[in-house]
Amino acid sequence: MANTAAVTLEGTSKSFGPIEVLSNISFALESGTVTGLVGENGAGKSTLIKILSGAIAPTSGHVLLGSDKLPSNTGAVIAAGLSVIYQELTDIPDMSLLENILLGNLTTRAGFKATKVNIARARVGLKKVGLEHLDLNAPIRNLTISQRQLAEIARCLVRDAKVLILDEPTSSLPEADVDNLLDVILALKAEGLTILYVTHHLDELFRIADRLVVLRDGSVVGDGPIGEWDEGKLVRAMLAKDLAQAYPWVSRKLGSVTLEGENLVARGVRGSSVHIKSKEIVGLVGLAGAGRTELMRVLTGVEPFLKGNVTVGGKPLKSGRISSARALGVLYGPEDRKQEGLVLGGSIESNLAYGSYHLVSRFGFLNLASMHSRALFSGQKFSIKFRSPTQAVGELSGGNQQKVVLARISQTSPVVVCFDDPTRGVDVGAKSGIYEHIFDLASNGTSIFMTSSDTDEILAVADRVYVLAGGRIVGELLRSEFDRQHILHLASRAAKKKEI
Amino acid sequence: MTSTAHNVAVPPQHRIRNFLRVIFSNNIAPIALALIIVSAVLSFMTPTFLTPGNLSNIVTQSSVVGIAAVGATFVIITSGIDLSVGANIALSGLLGAMVSQATNGYFGILTVLVVASLLGAINGAFVAWLRLAPFIVTLAVLGMARGMTLQISQGNSVYGLPEALNWLGNSDFAGIKSSAILTIVMFVLGHILLSRTTFGHRIYAVGGNSEAARLAGINVKSIVFTAYVIAGFCAGLAAIVTLGRLDSATPNAAIGAELNVIAAVVIGGTSLFGGKGSMVGTFIGVLLIGVINNGMTLLNVSAFLVQFVQGALILLAVLLDALNTRRIRNQRTS
Repeated sequence: MANTAAVTLEGTSKSFGPIEVLSNISFALESGTVTGLVGENGAGKSTLIKILSGAIAPTSGHVLLGSDKLPSNTGAVIAAGLSVIYQELTDIPDMSLLENILLGNLTTRAGFKATKVNIARARVGLKKVGLEHLDLNAPIRNLTISQRQLAEIARCLVRDAKVLILDEPTSSLPEADVDNLLDVILALKAEGLTILYVTHHLDELFRIADRLVVLRDGSVVGDGPIGEWDEGKLVRAMLAKDLAQAYPWVSRKLGSVTLEGENLVARGVRGSSVHIKSKEIVGLVGLAGAGRTELMRVLTGVEPFLKGNVTVGGKPLKSGRISSARALGVLYGPEDRKQEGLVLGGSIESNLAYGSYHLVSRFGFLNLASMHSRALFSGQKFSIKFRSPTQAVGELSGGNQQKVVLARISQTSPVVVCFDDPTRGVDVGAKSGIYEHIFDLASNGTSIFMTSSDTDEILAVADRVYVLAGGRIVGELLRSEFDRQHILHLASRAAKKKEI
Repeated sequence: MTSTAHNVAVPPQHRIRNFLRVIFSNNIAPIALALIIVSAVLSFMTPTFLTPGNLSNIVTQSSVVGIAAVGATFVIITSGIDLSVGANIALSGLLGAMVSQATNGYFGILTVLVVASLLGAINGAFVAWLRLAPFIVTLAVLGMARGMTLQISQGNSVYGLPEALNWLGNSDFAGIKSSAILTIVMFVLGHILLSRTTFGHRIYAVGGNSEAARLAGINVKSIVFTAYVIAGFCAGLAAIVTLGRLDSATPNAAIGAELNVIAAVVIGGTSLFGGKGSMVGTFIGVLLIGVINNGMTLLNVSAFLVQFVQGALILLAVLLDALNTRRIRNQRTS
């Protein structure tokens, strides 16, 4: 193993406005090694990858590729030998395997494709990832997801990449293919490539990594050879911060079961059974792609389920019918408030009225004065900062927008609410405000399912959690049994064991 | 300006302020100003412009475009488009005329409205439930409806319609044409439906963000469908006015009317991106186009140039719409 650095980060920081996302990051990728990068959601991994890919420039500090400064645009970074393989496929499904492998990189003679040369080049790349047997002319959409993932790697190899950055490459792969991918990575390492491997699956790291770097809140909090780590130590390094005390959880006397879902099968959900009581807050915990959002969308009638059944107060919920769910008092607070939660060009009073017309209309005619006064009332109750209820919601800050969503959901005294990451992208101050209202809803009798990209938050506010992995429920814990490490183990371990 | 009012009722001064805000936020003020300026210029240039007869004439001449524009406003706010309005006027008018000659004028009227609404329903069904692009769907329906009109009529007009069918396009009250009155009535009804009912409110929600509207429990598909049916129905009323004015159904009736209709709606501040617009704006847009056409006629401008000016107006309106939308988007991201 050569002892030279292929990539060096020196005091790299990145701020977006006043918010520092990465702070003084320094570490190096040694040539011909696999370095694992881990950290919770929001720790700064994706920002770091964006910097390495040349997509964004660091605010301060610098990045060296070999001994040269990293170029400042993505094309030049790729040409200099550093390629990033993203979590989602970036191939063009209807183009052939050959054209995808050589995307933007075809050898031409006098403007015409030099087919033989191209085929030879593609084969060299495909051989390294074990795909040399495939038909080069078939459209790439005919391949399995795993094969397409490997083809992405081959594409980078054809471009003479020396450094590969893989961002969660196994998140959408079935178990058997994960082993294959890890073998390919080890083979590439043996050929002298330098690899940065980013993942939530800690066990994968122990199989392939030579070194581990841990990010937390934008700083490197751990960096050492693989021998120094075990899973427990790694998890502690990732999460080591006190459970936030900002969430005023109080014990509530739970009522009877309000919603029950049995053996639900849907896209992204495989045989899950859940139930919830009135006044209860139940957290859904899992890695990205574990099926949390999918489960919520099934329970709220947004997506249909193929098997199983959902009952609310004993009455059946019709599969994939939002109107049925709403009639039973089941509401959905979507994850992406800008795309799914709000009509940004609409006024605050309009956004509060959407879907709740029975409160502000009679015989189909709107009571404009009532819409206005309701908006003023909600503005005070939820301390939404706005100039006037007729102001466009799009002009409000993220936290205030989320409060509008919250106000709309709360005004109907729902039976069950599914909040998908209600504090996403919201600053700390607004966060505890949002949770106060969620507690308020719960103590008034509403059952609440919720997710968060921050597991600590869930553990701070939930009465009970379901742990999800691969679309299944792999654990159910009461508040008295909450143990972050145990839950994280469940979520990442079970994801591998229970696949397919 | 972070004043949070504590009172619950809306005091009158807020009403006035809200009204002004509606006028400005919907881009009505600039277009109203344009209407005033163009009218002022024309009244200086020709003595006939500012006579009661001519002004009522403008509304009458704008009635076909105006009535169709009421329906088109609903469609465009859902971020859709209806190109088939002219062909719809021709086909529903022709069939209505034929039925009226075989039976009577009332069955003729019924036929026009049913056929026109059905064409709207076809547009709506393909757009809402089969999720095809409105531009393509209504372009195809335009072709089919116009083709069927020519096939059925064999290119010949149907002359001599019963009085009941001609009445809307051809009679007057105290010197004001019934078609002008109908236009005003339709705009008032359209305004109430759009701004005062839950249906109108849902139209804005669907056009502003259809996914958010769906997740908030709004039946997006039926709202979109209904908007196209309304547009079809309005085209039917416009067809009846056309029949009455000519006392005949011609297969080439209302050719290219969609251009004027869409121009009026967009000039009136309704965004082609959806979610934004008003009936008041469309009314002023219709008047502006009517005034410009009327002015050019009074000034003996060539009819060829009239069409050019209309095209230029659309381009200008779309440009302003796009710039305005981008400005708002930039404000939001910064």
